[in-house]
Amino acid sequence: MNITMTVNGKLEHLECAPGDMLTEVLRNAGHVEVKKGCDTGNCGACTVLVDGKPVLSCSYLAARADGKEVTTIQGRVEEARRFARFLTAEGADQCGFCAPGFTLTVLAMREELPNPTETDIRHYLAGNLCRCSGYEGQIRAIRNYLEANHE
Amino acid sequence: MEIVEYSRPRSIDEALRLIRDRGGTPIAGAAWLRTNAKTMKLGVDLSELGLDFIRETASGVEIGAMTSYRRIETSEVLAQRFGGALGAAVCHVVGVQLRNIITIGGTAAGRYGFSDLNTVLAALGAKVVLYPNTVLDFAKYVEAGAEVPFLIEKFLLPARARAAFSQFRISESDFPVLNAAVAKTETGWRIAVGARPAATRLCPRAMAMLGREARPSDAAIAEAAAQATVELRFGSDIRASAEYREAILPALLRRAILEVRG
Ligand SMILES: Cc1cc2nc3c(=O)[nH]c(=O)nc-3n(C[C@H](O)[C@H](O)[C@H](O)COP(=O)(O)OP(=O)(O)OC[C@H]3O[C@@H](n4cnc5c(N)ncnc54)[C@H](O)[C@@H]3O)c2cc1C
Ligand code: FES
Ligand code: FES
Repeated sequence: MNITMTVNGKLEHLECAPGDMLTEVLRNAGHVEVKKGCDTGNCGACTVLVDGKPVLSCSYLAARADGKEVTTIQGRVEEARRFARFLTAEGADQCGFCAPGFTLTVLAMREELPNPTETDIRHYLAGNLCRCSGYEGQIRAIRNYLEANHE
Repeated sequence: MEIVEYSRPRSIDEALRLIRDRGGTPIAGAAWLRTNAKTMKLGVDLSELGLDFIRETASGVEIGAMTSYRRIETSEVLAQRFGGALGAAVCHVVGVQLRNIITIGGTAAGRYGFSDLNTVLAALGAKVVLYPNTVLDFAKYVEAGAEVPFLIEKFLLPARARAAFSQFRISESDFPVLNAAVAKTETGWRIAVGARPAATRLCPRAMAMLGREARPSDAAIAEAAAQATVELRFGSDIRASAEYREAILPALLRRAILEVRG
């Protein structure tokens, strides 16, 4: 079947099978910044925004994205670079595989929660697993990033 | 997941026709369906039927079948009701990105053993509405299912009930080892226990022990919690043994009952 969606602001006509999930369809269209981790809905690596909301693309039916706006990390690259500086400063990034999904979730959180507490941050990011960092550095980086945005 | 034909109807009558007459499979979040290895002849996507709502009515609260977990978790209407038990039941499920996808209707239809949300719905005495006009008691529906191919339209919740949810998980976003929900409704105390690991069940004898008492004594609470372990069956799986589940249930129930009693 044919579907049309706006990916990072550009209209794309894509072909998919009715049962395909969004990760596969985006990656086949060249959006390899969308990572496939567990492919079972557990790790958050595949996170994209659909109409502004963070979803797991591995668990989102591609056919349902027809007519919708999809944002991958490439669509928010300036903010991602800025956030990455805070991650680096805390030594919170190693292999980087989780970073696209994790960063998009942080950006979504910033938009959804005006003043998140540390508990809110941990709760919002509970679905983003990172096998390298141990999380503490990520939490510090997020706090520093949010504070810098407030200033 | 393999789907031969995909349809996204715009009316609920059309969706029901595809499910009943053409053997279509309802697709809600698809998060669980996708783990199914079977080929789906016709997938009926329910996302454009206007079933994503939480509204207050004269008799209580209605939740549409396609309402996502995240919407339930962040709903102001639900935060002010039932001691926030619905939000408490859904907020542990993996992460925000999955909760933006998965729905109350898919959860109820699956009648999954591990379900946290189904336990709260059963304790609240919720009703499930199968389109167009079959209204079933939710706890009975979880036990018996529904016979013909059906389409869940919405859930009816009481206007008032105090409730609490308690659960035990090995780690935050894992499946629960055991869950329990308690409600004090207009008809009296209600207790439901799920993830045994089988699906949620009420505990009628434990409920009768608490009756309609507004403030049951600590002794009565302990007795009712012990009774629940006698009337329920527990099983073993990779997360815990039947004996372990049975041993922790009284503590989960005591906590929930005390939270409701205040
Ligand atoms: C990785 C992962 C972890 C999870 N962890 C937990 C957990 O810890 N606790 C917990 O309680 N749950 C958990 N869940 C389950 C989740 O809460 C949902 O119950 C599940 O995903 C089903 O919801 P869905 O909207 O995706 O339904 P779908 O997968 O779309 O559908 C499920 C079933 O219901 C049918 N169906 C859907 N909607 C209707 C309708 N309106 N009428 C009739 N039939 C319908 C479908 O045909 C299908 O058979 C987890 C799920 C995943 C993927
Ligand atoms: S790849 Fe989607 S959650 Fe892991
Ligand atoms: S940095 Fe390696 S998984 Fe997160």
